[in-house]
Amino acid sequence: MASTPTSAPTVSAPADAPAVAPTASPVRFSADAPAGPSAAFPARPSTDASTASPAGAPVAGAPSAPIPAVLREAVAEASESSLTGPSVGRRLWRGSVRVAGSVGRRTVAVAALAAIWEILPRLEVVDPTFLTPLSGVLAAWWDLLLSGELLDHTQASLIRSLSGLALAIIVAIPLGLLIGWYRPVADLLNPVLELFRNTAALALLPVFVLILGLGETSKISIILYACAWPILLNTIAGVKGVDPLLIKSARSMGLPPIRLFQKVILPAAVPTIFTGIRMAGAYSILVLVAAEMVGAKAGLGYLINYAQFNFRVPDMYAGIITISVLGLLFNQFLVRLERRFSTWRTT
Amino acid sequence: MKIQIQGVGKKFRVRDADRLFTALDDITLDVRAGEFLTLVGPSGCGKSTLLDLLAGLDSPTTGRILLNGTPVNGPGLDRGIVFQQYALFPWRTALSNIEFGLEAKAVSKKERAERARTYLELVGLRGFENRYPHELSGGMRQRVAIARSLAFDPDVLLMDEPFAALDAQTRESLQEELLRIWEKTGKTIVFITHGIDEAVYLGQRVAVMTSRPGRIKRVVDVEFDSREGDLRADARFGEYRHEVWTLLRDEVAAARAEEAVSVG
Ligand SMILES: Nc1ncnc2c1ncn2[C@@H]1O[C@H](COP(=O)(O)OP(=O)(O)O)[C@@H](O)[C@H]1O
Ligand SMILES: [Mg+2]
Repeated sequence: MASTPTSAPTVSAPADAPAVAPTASPVRFSADAPAGPSAAFPARPSTDASTASPAGAPVAGAPSAPIPAVLREAVAEASESSLTGPSVGRRLWRGSVRVAGSVGRRTVAVAALAAIWEILPRLEVVDPTFLTPLSGVLAAWWDLLLSGELLDHTQASLIRSLSGLALAIIVAIPLGLLIGWYRPVADLLNPVLELFRNTAALALLPVFVLILGLGETSKISIILYACAWPILLNTIAGVKGVDPLLIKSARSMGLPPIRLFQKVILPAAVPTIFTGIRMAGAYSILVLVAAEMVGAKAGLGYLINYAQFNFRVPDMYAGIITISVLGLLFNQFLVRLERRFSTWRTT
Repeated sequence: MKIQIQGVGKKFRVRDADRLFTALDDITLDVRAGEFLTLVGPSGCGKSTLLDLLAGLDSPTTGRILLNGTPVNGPGLDRGIVFQQYALFPWRTALSNIEFGLEAKAVSKKERAERARTYLELVGLRGFENRYPHELSGGMRQRVAIARSLAFDPDVLLMDEPFAALDAQTRESLQEELLRIWEKTGKTIVFITHGIDEAVYLGQRVAVMTSRPGRIKRVVDVEFDSREGDLRADARFGEYRHEVWTLLRDEVAAARAEEAVSVG
């Protein structure tokens, strides 16, 4: 029996599938969204991302996983060849060349941008008063770092961002599970959800300020609000997208509804939920900056805005660089986390 | 009698029709303890519907189903189902999939793993404990699914075209394997298929269903002197095969005609 063609020889290695997962998020979201008239959100699930948030952020999340994936690819190629190839050394070398090439290419693009940033203002192609040369910006950044100012602002921003995101996770996941699982709840909330998810979060910022004041509450609240949408919608889609056959199979083994939820629905929905969390991570930074430009006393958004207002142009750019690096790192972390929870996902 | 299906009918409410849709009509059939019964019928005749009823996932509109003399009212671990599409939990490894059914029973964690391992070996997959379903071939996935259903030790194994998605060679080896397992475990098996060869090869009896609404047209006793050797080369295999084929021919034609009407 074990010698049939189905056995060992046909087993394919766990192709490094999860590498595809993180980048495919917007597409996957719509794919996971249940089709047909029973769906809570029948229309245009793929537009959620862009309408529910101030910016087309899922795209911002897309160019992810740079070096590690490449490295892994090369290692995979190398180890694969060690089984088959005649010259391990050469393959390994070729693998490393590819890594180097890929890293090189990325570095080249960034370096080119840096060079342009440095040279154009110096040649006065653009006015250096408005675009400080990169070296000037980095010097300003260094000064801000040494003075401790940068750290204070970063800390203030991070606290807002992370609390907003954390609260969104705490609120949106259970709510999404409830809506995805209980038809009556979905029917009840569907019209409201439709209305709100099509309202740009930042359009509501003045309302938040009006009601909650200019303090931390309104800032964290607007971040919470913006982050909640992708998590909520992805959680709903995740729950609704569970393969009915798996549910049937579990039910046939006599699983009561609660166990079914715990052992089938939840684990099946986890990768989709994480996609939502990753998207929310991007939103948390985006909305943060906008929120901090209104009546804040600290934070990177405040720094950027304040620096511009006081004509501290290099500081403004230093703030901008900091926020984008922060966003990049945050996204990296979430992508990593998402991949970890989706290893079993193949498509 | 292990299973008694008594005058069972099933009607579905279809969304945009006022009439109810009759999927099964007056099915009466008994399955003996330890029997291997195959059920053939044209597609859409209600085979899966009947299996759902046996599994307790749905209840009959008319008639009743008895299991060990008591009416079926809901699913339970006394019956195991194997689906055509495997229905393995993709986030669980092969071993952990097999443990799934045991988790509902009061079986200690250690014993669960032990039992799962035993059944994984029974289906010839030793060494694949930690593979995820997507790392296994179709045939291997179905083996895991079979092991999962056997692991909680049900009396009855209900199988819905389990080998239909596999290539011919894999299918044949799994058929052999299933017979071996059946002989070893003494389970009662109800096996749905639309393959005549498969029905005759596996079944001690072959129940042939009519096209929609599904009824039992005839039950053919399949008796070979011995199951050893190449059964398919046996002259009697050809006779049984022809008999079932003849019974099915008109039904398949009827099913086709109806399909053509409803499509056109
Ligand atoms: N839940 C349901 N609601 C309405 N019609 C159904 C339902 N389940 C099955 N049917 C219909 O009953 C008939 C028999 O289906 P099924 O049992 O799946 O057939 P088979 O397994 O023999 O191919 C089909 O015409 C199918 O469309
Ligand atoms: Mg079927």
